[in-house]
Amino acid sequence: MVNKNSRLALKTITLCAMEPKKTGKIDHLETKNPGILQKLIAMGILPGMPITLLRRSPSYLFEVDQTRYAVDREIANHIYVSY
Amino acid sequence: MKLPVICPEKECCCGKKGCTPGEGLPKIILIGNPNVGKSSLFNALSGSYTLVSNYPGTSVEIAHGKARIGEREYEIIDTPGMYSLLPVSEEERVSQLLLFEEKPLVYLHVVDARNLRRMLSFTLQLLEAGLPLILVLNMMDEAEERRIEIDISELSQSLGIPVVGTVSSEEKGIDELKAAISEYTSRNNTQKFRQKLDYGTEIEPYIETIESLLGPAKEVGISKRAISLLLLQEDQTALEYLCKAEKKPECGREDLEKSSEEIRKLAEAASKKSEVPLSYLLTLKRQECVNGIVGQVMTMPEGTEKNSGKAGKIGTEAEKGTEKEENYTCAAQEKTKSGPAKNRAGKIEERKKQKGNIDLSEKIDNILIHPVLGIPVLFLVLYFGLYLFVGVFAAGTVVDFLENTVFGGYVNPLVTAKFMSLVPYPALQDLFVGEYGIFTQAVTYAIALILPIVGAFFLVFSIIEDTGYLPRLSLLLDGMFKKIGLSGRAVIPMVLGFGCSTMATVVTRTLETKRERIIANILLALAIPCSAQLGIILSILSGNPESLLIWSIVIILEFILIGFLASRVLPGEAPTFILEMPPLRKPKLSNILVKTYSRMHWYFLEVLPLFVLASVLIWIGKLTGLFALALKIIEYPTVWIGLPPDAADVFLFGFFRRDFGAAGLYGMHDSGLLTGVQLLVAAITLTLFMPCIAQFMMTIKERGFKTALAISGFIFPFAFFTGFIVNNLLKLLGVNL
Repeated sequence: MVNKNSRLALKTITLCAMEPKKTGKIDHLETKNPGILQKLIAMGILPGMPITLLRRSPSYLFEVDQTRYAVDREIANHIYVSY
Repeated sequence: MKLPVICPEKECCCGKKGCTPGEGLPKIILIGNPNVGKSSLFNALSGSYTLVSNYPGTSVEIAHGKARIGEREYEIIDTPGMYSLLPVSEEERVSQLLLFEEKPLVYLHVVDARNLRRMLSFTLQLLEAGLPLILVLNMMDEAEERRIEIDISELSQSLGIPVVGTVSSEEKGIDELKAAISEYTSRNNTQKFRQKLDYGTEIEPYIETIESLLGPAKEVGISKRAISLLLLQEDQTALEYLCKAEKKPECGREDLEKSSEEIRKLAEAASKKSEVPLSYLLTLKRQECVNGIVGQVMTMPEGTEKNSGKAGKIGTEAEKGTEKEENYTCAAQEKTKSGPAKNRAGKIEERKKQKGNIDLSEKIDNILIHPVLGIPVLFLVLYFGLYLFVGVFAAGTVVDFLENTVFGGYVNPLVTAKFMSLVPYPALQDLFVGEYGIFTQAVTYAIALILPIVGAFFLVFSIIEDTGYLPRLSLLLDGMFKKIGLSGRAVIPMVLGFGCSTMATVVTRTLETKRERIIANILLALAIPCSAQLGIILSILSGNPESLLIWSIVIILEFILIGFLASRVLPGEAPTFILEMPPLRKPKLSNILVKTYSRMHWYFLEVLPLFVLASVLIWIGKLTGLFALALKIIEYPTVWIGLPPDAADVFLFGFFRRDFGAAGLYGMHDSGLLTGVQLLVAAITLTLFMPCIAQFMMTIKERGFKTALAISGFIFPFAFFTGFIVNNLLKLLGVNL
């Protein structure tokens, strides 16, 4: 079923679960905390943007477009990536 | 936030009541994200200096100065960084208020050229707000290094505003910018450009309704449409503004209550309908438009280009169904650009070199933030920067020379003799050149002792700051800081606290939650010794490595313990960590020197009056007998922690300035009055002691009187209590140092 359509092969997982050095797209942001959401979108971490996870420890470091961001696990859990 | 008016020369109304903003100099206000070079642009334009730094959130206060461009003078204002019109942090709120209240000639929206896609959204918001705007693409060199090309004239055309490319750190493009400003002035821009961005049939009706409700409200700096959008997102400032504006007599209270109630209902209805928070939806809409523009004017190197191309498609896909019809401003821009792939051949050689540079900085970066390798690097930085340079060289060699040779040997005897012969009154002689005299103590300590140490620290700090190491340190230590209730962001005030706790207390403002700010403040006051004190303590204890080791362990344990307890006791949510990571940069010598100078300047102005004040207070205290009484009282806890009664002096001084107290300790140690254990206990107690009057005042200013009092009420007894424990523990174990 999954293999029938290549578009379905895209999996959507949180940034936490993503493998380092992989590039994907931000699928959506999901958080109950409006402050975090507002912060993320204001900083330009938006659905549709290409995202590359660079490292997972000591904190999550990733690149969106041309900028790098460091976030903690809590926030990385709110960013859903498809690749 | 209304800023004082600076009037043009010759036309000045000299502070008369009629001196309204309209009659002042035309204003130029810099706005933009943190870390895009606003401050360095400010300096390039105004010629004067404020701190420019690589770390988000260093301009905590609004800087303003004069600039002469062509024939005219302008007032130029730098603001704390903000990401969008809807503020997230306290600093951003400061900038937002400014937008509401100021009516400048023109705003310069400064963006990092590389990140046009991410920052253009804010430009659109500013245009939507009807603000007079020039877009400044800064850091063009870094964009070029990454082979990003931007068609500036086309960008200017699609936005309908002037766009200028600059490299502010090298003053490139500044002339063009000045020309653009002059042109703006002469054009006498009455009709402001308004880009209409269509938010779609679901939201537009709400915007219109709110706009019509705003009808009677006073005109402010920003357009009603922008205010309506902010109100829809339930922005605090916009709501407050609404209440304030409508308190005018001509519109009754009922009207106000009715309309704000109505607006609240509308906002609720709108967000219920859209299912996702409105700010999210609005941002996505804007980004869609930005993607269209960026796709047209910006070309990236092959690899990234592919990515961003796809991103654009998926971006629209992600909002399936929200709106079918393209909004008209952006639809026109959807055509693809026939790439400006010219001019590439000649640059290959240069690019190879640039790529090499990027690879090298990438490698260094990987070591700096490596969970294992990063720690030894941190210790190396601390060892060379803090211990060897500040502790051994500045606090040891330089201070020794200045204090004993220059001041002790020549200056002080000379001044004292002169003063004695000129002023025959013993009381006055005591005030100026006595044991605690203004000259012999305050000025001598300030210049010979404190200045070299603090100067050395600020030099090291400026270098570290300019390379971009601080955000990397935040990333490295975030996990550990979480255990004590702080996020990695708190690394900056903590490191700065090793230089000057007072300055660091100001910087705690950049932390996001109140809880975090209080914890950081407590730790700064308690466990972080400032450079002056640290230098002296290092040099006193360095004769005995074991003492130094015990001192460090006790202070670090205190830091962890109190942080841990505070994070348990204080109510509020745990902090989250999100930080932009600027690229590593080679620090520029001139930038570092000017920065160090201006920090020393600040420190000296802050410190010297307090030193003099301390001298005067001690003099009054001695004359009236209060000093003796205070000493008697402090003698009890002093003896209690196993020190000779004379050491009470040190703690009394410690209250005026922590480093002052440390210097007293230095004196006692020199005359051999203290044993090794006593010296250690005194050093520990003094380190934990409330820093200095200046820090206390700053805590009151930043945290409020009650909190400041509570913090000091905890720290004083706790410092002595720790001294007591350490003393008895060492005795019990029979340790001799």
